[in-house]
Amino acid sequence: MRYYARKLGFYLVALWAALTLNFFIPRLMPGNPVDTLLAKLQQRGGAVDPSARRSYELLLGTDTGEPLWRQYTSYLGNVLRGDLGVSVSAFPAEVTEVIGQSLPWTVVLVGIATLLSFTLGVTLGTITGWRRGSRLDSLIPATTVLAAVPYFWLALILVLIFSSTLQWFPLFGGYDTYLATGWNWDFISSAIYHGTLPALTIVISSVGGWLLGMRNMMVATGSEDYILTAHAKGLRERRIMTRYAARNAVLPSLAGFAISLGFVVSGSIITEQVFSYPGIGSKLLQAVENSDYALMQGIFLVITVAVLAANLLVDLLHGFIDPRTRVTT
Amino acid sequence: MTQHARWRRTRRAMAGAAAVALLAAGCGSGGGNGGGTSGPADTLVAYTGQAGDYQRNFNPYAPTMIEGPGNIFEPLFFYNVVRDDAPVPRLGTDYSWNETGTELSITTRENVTWSDGEPFTAHDVAFTFDMVRAHPTMNAIGFDGESEVVDDTHLVVRFAQPAYLEAPTVLGKLWIVPEHIWSTFEDPAQNTVQDPVGTGPFVLGDFKPQAFTLAANPDYWDGEPALKNIRFVSLSGNQAGADALAAGRIDFQTGPVPDLHNVEKNYPGYRAITTHVFQIALFTCSDTALGCTGPQTDPAVRRAIYHALDRTQLNALAYQDTAAEISPGFALPGRDDAVISEQLTDRVAPMEADPARAEQVLQEAGWSKGGDGVYAKDGEKLSLSVRVVSGWTDVITAADTMTQQLKAAGIELTVAQSSWNEWSDARGRGDFELVFDSLYPGPSPDPYYSYNYFFHGDNTAPVGEVANPNFARYDHPEVNAALDALQQLDPADTAARQPHFDTIQTRLEADMPYIPVLTGGTTSQYNAEKFTGWPTAEDLYAFPAVWQRPDNSQIYLNLKPAGGE
Repeated sequence: MRYYARKLGFYLVALWAALTLNFFIPRLMPGNPVDTLLAKLQQRGGAVDPSARRSYELLLGTDTGEPLWRQYTSYLGNVLRGDLGVSVSAFPAEVTEVIGQSLPWTVVLVGIATLLSFTLGVTLGTITGWRRGSRLDSLIPATTVLAAVPYFWLALILVLIFSSTLQWFPLFGGYDTYLATGWNWDFISSAIYHGTLPALTIVISSVGGWLLGMRNMMVATGSEDYILTAHAKGLRERRIMTRYAARNAVLPSLAGFAISLGFVVSGSIITEQVFSYPGIGSKLLQAVENSDYALMQGIFLVITVAVLAANLLVDLLHGFIDPRTRVTT
Repeated sequence: MTQHARWRRTRRAMAGAAAVALLAAGCGSGGGNGGGTSGPADTLVAYTGQAGDYQRNFNPYAPTMIEGPGNIFEPLFFYNVVRDDAPVPRLGTDYSWNETGTELSITTRENVTWSDGEPFTAHDVAFTFDMVRAHPTMNAIGFDGESEVVDDTHLVVRFAQPAYLEAPTVLGKLWIVPEHIWSTFEDPAQNTVQDPVGTGPFVLGDFKPQAFTLAANPDYWDGEPALKNIRFVSLSGNQAGADALAAGRIDFQTGPVPDLHNVEKNYPGYRAITTHVFQIALFTCSDTALGCTGPQTDPAVRRAIYHALDRTQLNALAYQDTAAEISPGFALPGRDDAVISEQLTDRVAPMEADPARAEQVLQEAGWSKGGDGVYAKDGEKLSLSVRVVSGWTDVITAADTMTQQLKAAGIELTVAQSSWNEWSDARGRGDFELVFDSLYPGPSPDPYYSYNYFFHGDNTAPVGEVANPNFARYDHPEVNAALDALQQLDPADTAARQPHFDTIQTRLEADMPYIPVLTGGTTSQYNAEKFTGWPTAEDLYAFPAVWQRPDNSQIYLNLKPAGGE
């Protein structure tokens, strides 16, 4: 029990540290939301009267003159109550509303893509590791090359081939905007259709990592004594591969997978930019461009909590699966 | 300026990304278009530069609103900033000033109804004016008039001072809202007006975070518009806009596309129009009394730079030849021809470089050339840094070209790139020697407004405090006095105004706090095959930029589906 209590305590301290950094880092950036907003309006057709500045300062409440430490304490208090404040770039929408609107898109897209990539990578890794030295080994350099190609480049190439030239997939967007949003088949199928290419690029660029890791673990487990024993007992090759070797080899990958699930919520800013996807990554970019501290803090908070939660889960699971990790002296 | 403003998103993306995407756009344009893909024949698909989801906000007074002014909520009059036209009546039919310019009498339109069926009267106008005045958070134009309703179609607005020059903002930029609905709002500034009720030619159709539609208002006072639907879509930026244009998915967008010279060839059915209103200049931190330091505080240095620039080369290398001539007095050539002073040495800035002249100006001011070919005075080298935003490729190209041009005149220029936030912060606080930016126009085709914004001492601040928007820290008593005098005069009295305009322009030419570069072009592309009635260079009835409100509503009112469909 003490093991779990200590873990939880550690995560609470980490959460507090992350919250504090979330508060201070955006404020170290140059610029402030009012000037950013004004500069934007000026470039958009101009005619911004000098009076506008005062008016927007009052409206956005950025000119409170409150000392930083007081802002910090009220920020911590608000976070505990679940109040993330008002977004300046989408004023007067609440940060929770902005995040709530975009988070599902990212979680579903990146979540499914990560899951697919993991499953595919581990399966292929199992087979190539088991049949090492065969022709299948050529998969490894092939997929690692794809993983090494800069992601945005790969994404743009795919857009060029499949959307612009072949026109198999839509150029941009998360769904066909002519359809009614909701749980109807037309909408869901259009969301799937629009999500395919972005998901594909994520899978292609990340499958190599899983494959390589799994394959190497398979090679290592393949030389274990219990595998030899299994062979000696005359078990079927396939059974040895899946039930004996892969089951042990997948452990490190599984831990990695849980952690990468935590990063799913942070999305993939570049994917969302390239495909104009309505997810959290594009919101983060919008927040940074507009000095929207509240929205930045909100998004960082969600990411932090998700990563910490995933880590905690892995920690606890490991303690459960592998008793060696929770031995205390 | 708009040109580079619109490039922003692309530039922020990695350079490689831009290169590939240009390729993608280029290839995409070959793959046929047809115009049929952008929806039904009476639906216009507009891309305003919206990136990411739309947050539902139709409050015309909120800086973050997504649509409303002009299309849903109308002003009393429409002022065309690109041509010296008389105001076009919208909800107002007539207005007049008393002799001293303190009392504005407005006649409002009869037989207008709100889109919920209630009648519109002068009471709604007075309510709107009072509401703006009572809420500093909505009063972005500094309105302080007192309104009094005479009858259902007449009202009077009284000002403490002569307020002739407030007419374009009061009549053209205050969007009239229905009293019977807005009087129930607790805080109208914070209300997002989810279901807007206005008098405008369009009403809100369906709304989704990635796109929304405005539908023609069947009961519009001037008859239902021929354009039945406007669909506003959201894309991730310029590049996605150019791609969508190539694929024929959008009908109207503002922003540069690759190979601007050949839009008609590359995008069959589409045309491009370039309008010149944003005056590109090198803003200098000019006044030592306000805390500026550096060689650019010497007016001779600023004039030398002015002469050393080869504007033809800049236009070709950085702006795809979309920019136009600029006047050193900052009146717009073309629109303000009548105002451009006869007393200016150069009516428009010379397009060719004259390094010999530049060196002469420097020598007369006591600068002498050092062994390294760069001028110096009292041990101070004539070396300047210009702040530009990293990723704004056209501005960076322009600044790099200038570096070469100024070198020939013995002036050293270094280009300092920084992020946009940092750049705009430095510009506001005066933390720069030169900054590459542009002057924007006012609410009406009158150069007074940009003069007042950028040259009046009231709108500047010492270095370290935020200037708004007289970033050059220019504070000259003669110019201030001339601007104050203009405020007292009826704009119709051109003879009385001209001496003041002469003073301002000649002072600007002599002092050059803003070194004129070129007048930047704003380029829009539109689907001319699907719709007729677009503004053209010959008939510039509104500023043709998709994001310019309420100009875009004038355009939408004027559009007709082609082919009588």
